[in-house]
Amino acid sequence: MPIEIPALPLPSVYPLGVILFDFLFLLVAIPIEAYILNTRLRFDKKTSIFYAISINLISSVVGWVAFFIAEPLLPKDLRTELISYAFFNKFQSNTVPPLLIFTALIIFFGTFILKFFILKGLLVLLSEPEKAPKDPENFKQRNTIRASRAKLQNTSVVTTTLIANSLSYSAIAIILLLRVR
Amino acid sequence: MQVFTDIFKFGSDITARIKNIVNIPKAFSWQTFIYLSVFSGLMSYLASGFVKDLISLCGWLFLIAGTAWYTTDGNPLKFFGTDMTVGALITGALVSIFAFGHESTILTSRTFVLWPTIAGLISAVPEFFSGTGTDVSAQIPKPEARQRMIILVASCMVLSCWLQFFFVMDNWLNEYPSLKSDSFKNSTFVLRTQPPETVPENGALVLNKIQPLLEEQLTERNWSEAEKWLKNASSQVGKLGREVVDKQLQKFDEKSFWKIEPRITNTKSGYKLDILSIWTGPSSNPKKYYLKKSCTVEPFAGGVRTNKPDAKGTVAEIICEGGSSLFGGSPPPQQ
Repeated sequence: MPIEIPALPLPSVYPLGVILFDFLFLLVAIPIEAYILNTRLRFDKKTSIFYAISINLISSVVGWVAFFIAEPLLPKDLRTELISYAFFNKFQSNTVPPLLIFTALIIFFGTFILKFFILKGLLVLLSEPEKAPKDPENFKQRNTIRASRAKLQNTSVVTTTLIANSLSYSAIAIILLLRVR
Repeated sequence: MQVFTDIFKFGSDITARIKNIVNIPKAFSWQTFIYLSVFSGLMSYLASGFVKDLISLCGWLFLIAGTAWYTTDGNPLKFFGTDMTVGALITGALVSIFAFGHESTILTSRTFVLWPTIAGLISAVPEFFSGTGTDVSAQIPKPEARQRMIILVASCMVLSCWLQFFFVMDNWLNEYPSLKSDSFKNSTFVLRTQPPETVPENGALVLNKIQPLLEEQLTERNWSEAEKWLKNASSQVGKLGREVVDKQLQKFDEKSFWKIEPRITNTKSGYKLDILSIWTGPSSNPKKYYLKKSCTVEPFAGGVRTNKPDAKGTVAEIICEGGSSLFGGSPPPQQ
């Protein structure tokens, strides 16, 4: 069996711009959302930064994966427009911008829902495993307190996520608008 | 007798040396795994068919287990101050090559893409165990460790997504190779490593393939018939062009973007037939571009060159230039 040096499947174009933009968006979104989490949900600074980093990274991953799944399934016209925008920074027809706004709306609400569920998931994942309560009376009391706290948190988590997401998207939108000028 | 003791001494010397190199402190250790993998590699080289695959599978598993063990033993080296361990990167690479590699091309795009994610997951694994070596017990890591692991794995997954996007864009260029001849200097997103191709090869290929077909259609045709054909050229050439494009560019998605059209002008002695292959796909030029191959169609006294019996009177002769040339902008209007 002769050992062949494999031909590296290296690409001939590098989408560094896309990566830098994604990185910039994360850099903008994380501190804003961390600040909102810190002020509204009263996590300490370190914890809120952790939550902000994780919800943004994970929603970014989910977004990318959705793109990778959707991209080959797009209708040919749309795919061509996408390619045209990526390589030549312009669309071929002018029917695209309305569609773009629609997509942006879907992305916004999609990430909002996603971030909420990620945050809830992380809250569960990071809670200390409860030790089995020895005292049944104490257990009952504690349980009701915990239940009310969880209920309170649920609504405030939703609004906090919405505010954090809106603010970070506004910041990103402002950056994009500044670029167009 | 002296000779025998010498030989014996030499033999024990060698075994001692080998023992030193192949130092296996105990049977259940990472060295055992590495040696098992080397042994499996040799065996799979000798075997064939199903057995070969089975042995090489075992070899890979031993190699991965050995590397993972070696690199996580003791105090693992961290990768540039991150939580990623160098050992996990190496083990991740092995797992990735093993899981997604091919026999012919050892590295596939998936190997690269999933490497960071797998490495991240591997570096998180030791957090779930306490103790070293053979004395291990499972544990749920502390919340702080869990935070670090979540961020590590998530950032590794983002890296994987970025790598995947490299290959998505590369795939676009494979499906639409004519984009490679265009300029990407307006693009915010793309950096290219090679200079653009001078001519969109597919466009030139189509023109070169259509030329003999045209010659076949026109050569030795009665001149008046040829003129009639030329009057009707746009539908004739369009049809021929469609067939050629469909056949030649079968495997490319860009085939619907190439359109073949003729342009005919009168000259003193006959006609000038320009065949254009027009690019209608994405381009940096808003008016796009086209390739042109010029041919001249002229009347010729028949029966001179060939021995066709029915070629009498004046017949048509078509002469095309060898190459084709590229023009930016929209093609000239059709008459």
